Amino acid sequence: MSKRLSVTLLTAPAMILLLGVFILPMLMMLLLSFQDENQAFSLHNYSLFIQDPYYLEILWRTIRVSLWTVLVSLLLGFPVAMYMAQATGKMRGIVTMLILAPHLISVVIRNFGWVVVLGEKGWINETLTSLGLIDQPLRLLYNELGIVIGLTDSFIAYMVLAIATSLYAIDPSLNKAASILGASRIRTFFSVTLPLCLPGIIAGTTLVFSLSMSAFVTPALMGGTSVKVLPVIAYEQIMATLNWPLGAALAFLLLGSTILLVTLYTKLIETKRYKEVFAS
Amino acid sequence: MKKINVLGLITFFVLVLVNLPFLVIIPSSFTAAGYLAFPPEGFSWQWYEMILDRPEFIDSLWISLKLATVTAILATFLGTLAAFALSKYKFRGSGIINALMLSPLTVPSLIIGISALLFFTRIGIAGTFTGLLLAHMLISIPYVVRLVLTGLSSFDYTLEKAGYMLGAHPFRVFWDITLPLLRPAIVSGMIFSFLTSFDNVTVSLFLVAPDTTTLPLAIFTYMQETLDPLVASISSVVILLSLVFIVLLEKVYGLERLFGLNSQSH
Amino acid sequence: MTKVIDVELRGIMKKFQSNVVVQNFNLQVEQGEFISFLGPSGCGKTTTLNMIAGFLDPDGGDLLIKGQRMNGVPPYKRELGMVFQTYSLFPHMTVAENIAYGLKLRKVNKQEMQERVNRVLSLVKLPNVADRYPKQLSGGQRQRIAIARALVIEPSLLLLDEPLSNLDAKLREELRDELKRLHHEIGVTTIFVTHDQEEALALSDRIVVMNHGFVEQIGTPLEIYNQPASEFVHTFIGKTNRLEGEVIGIDGDVLTLRTTGGMLVKAAKQQRTVALHEKVIIFIRPEKIKLTDSAVSEEANRVKGHLQLASFLGSYTECEVKVGEHTLSVKVQMTDSSVDRQEGQTVYCQWNADDVLVMPAGRG
Repeated sequence: MSKRLSVTLLTAPAMILLLGVFILPMLMMLLLSFQDENQAFSLHNYSLFIQDPYYLEILWRTIRVSLWTVLVSLLLGFPVAMYMAQATGKMRGIVTMLILAPHLISVVIRNFGWVVVLGEKGWINETLTSLGLIDQPLRLLYNELGIVIGLTDSFIAYMVLAIATSLYAIDPSLNKAASILGASRIRTFFSVTLPLCLPGIIAGTTLVFSLSMSAFVTPALMGGTSVKVLPVIAYEQIMATLNWPLGAALAFLLLGSTILLVTLYTKLIETKRYKEVFAS
Repeated sequence: MKKINVLGLITFFVLVLVNLPFLVIIPSSFTAAGYLAFPPEGFSWQWYEMILDRPEFIDSLWISLKLATVTAILATFLGTLAAFALSKYKFRGSGIINALMLSPLTVPSLIIGISALLFFTRIGIAGTFTGLLLAHMLISIPYVVRLVLTGLSSFDYTLEKAGYMLGAHPFRVFWDITLPLLRPAIVSGMIFSFLTSFDNVTVSLFLVAPDTTTLPLAIFTYMQETLDPLVASISSVVILLSLVFIVLLEKVYGLERLFGLNSQSH
Repeated sequence: MTKVIDVELRGIMKKFQSNVVVQNFNLQVEQGEFISFLGPSGCGKTTTLNMIAGFLDPDGGDLLIKGQRMNGVPPYKRELGMVFQTYSLFPHMTVAENIAYGLKLRKVNKQEMQERVNRVLSLVKLPNVADRYPKQLSGGQRQRIAIARALVIEPSLLLLDEPLSNLDAKLREELRDELKRLHHEIGVTTIFVTHDQEEALALSDRIVVMNHGFVEQIGTPLEIYNQPASEFVHTFIGKTNRLEGEVIGIDGDVLTLRTTGGMLVKAAKQQRTVALHEKVIIFIRPEKIKLTDSAVSEEANRVKGHLQLASFLGSYTECEVKVGEHTLSVKVQMTDSSVDRQEGQTVYCQWNADDVLVMPAGRG
């Protein structure tokens, strides 16, 4: 059998699926987003977004919620990654397992668990009330806080993994070298560890940000009906209002703004020195 | 020493946090009360018995299992073939094909779901099992390709040559030598595909009809209207099922490796 | 002139769990001395170095640097210089920044910092690499920068943790000479950990030979080579012929020994006394044995044998000579006129009674 024939036969089934169910539909979706009610070409759906403060406000909320998720994931995830990098093989395995396993269980179920914990009659409110610490239940759910908690739970593992991978790559004798040169532990952390795991931090933050921007199951379940983010609005346009062109346009606008923000962020943080040090 | 303890404390806190949903759901599914509460009040199996009275959950569980199984088999088959071609042959455009195979991972599932809905509506398979299957295969294939490619990257092709020199037919070589050595990668690709399909909500949401609702979606829909211990009991069933596959995956391949985390533990 | 003691180890002990890895280590290092810790991997040499550096705390004994007890003092307060096996240059800092790092921590002013960086760069003969990143340097250059970084803070003590073992053979020799030159130039007290006996012999004022956590011997390279305190020291350093036997005669300063193979060996009086009829181990270094064709003996020992194997190795030829039951290894220098020999040929091995080392068997 010739090489070309082998390659064709082996890749064809998967390629047909990818082109047919992914690439072609996405092009159709893109075309559709430029259609008005009369199926004529129009920029209406996109200009609507820019002109209507409602949509801009929703976009800003989506970004805000995503940024909070990134911040909380980073602050909680960094120490975990540090711990994993310092732990022995067995302990590291256990921590890895416990942080990764929840990711293989449906997000709907995890969100449901949080509802039980955070709801008005949930565990936290009941406990605080019975201790006499609060009179009225705290609103921990069906607001932006609820969404941030849900998203952090969903995506923190990606942050931990990205940072841990870059921490593992740091030669431990660099810490020794800094120490013997006179740097305290805190000093060593800021002048050696932190700069060297910058690639991991960038990877983790951009990944968590992108995932948070496009998440809609968690915002739907933990944000409730009053606090909506852009993906939820897009979902509603498609499934409830049945305005498919607008729904498609909103989805692309979301993707576009995510890419734009991530690009700006990496441009800003990847200085000349960064490139010189970390370029392979 | 002191520093490790602070880190350990935070780590413990985070581990509890990410596992808290399960630690809460399972106990509350056994509540004797008629409403959702944690800690649960009393003990009873009533909410598990209740599942049996709800055909929509039973039906959707079967659909989910069937869908996940077929997805796993087909996605693994297609993905493995493609990975072989990509690893073994150097050809023009292999970079593009490789990028294309992994591309469903980089596009938000919101867009995958909407575009599949549009396309399936046009060709008349929206809301069918076939439509769901195609979409689930699409989102599983990248994982299979990545896993098998990783497996192949450490595969020593001189073993195949050794097989030929000993007089084995190419097919025999593939069956006796190549495949057994790649088994962990292929099997874990299959389990991971199963879990990806079994868990999925974001893509399925756009593609189900009432008679093709998957279990996570049935829970999602039910949850938006009612929050009672029934959600807890049915969720516990899903958790248990997923756990079996997670343990399997850990045994076959190791989660650490699966998520691309190089273990440097000695 | 009184000697100044820079480092003192008093009964240092270290264990990991129940495993004792360093046992009763006593040592005084004089100011300006170059000391090597030599031994196979796992002998405790690196553990000891890590205790001196402060990365590990001893479980017993006292560690004194410049007369001050250092137990429990963290590494960053010890004012030491250290060079690591893996170079350990900070990859995100330029060469100049790497070297200046220790000065920055000591709040040295900008101008002085610049001057000292330049001075130390020319000391290691790399004046033009200040603005490069470590990955743009070769292995040998990186190690020189690592040395410069350790020296720039003018440490009271320089610790070298197998600094040459990641380099190829030729570079290793070059850097070895470089280390020797640097030590002569600045005279900093140095502790050098290595498993390479040649490095230790070439560089050190004194060598500490370690095995299984114990100090086997402390002495000058000559003492270590010629008067090993134990069988381990003798076999670890240099090649040797090891024969087992018995003392069958003591005549004044001369011992007569008979090997298990029935060969008679005359040996000069030993440091460690042996009794008549005592079981002994006999060592003869291959380079002390001469090969001749004539039966005329110039030395106390002469045996007849067959040349089994001759491997030409450039500056010398390594021969194996079968003598009765024994196989003796013999090193023949190129200067030897009668070097061209055929395998299978009958030859005579002879050596001086002074070159025979005798140790009581079973006593280390």
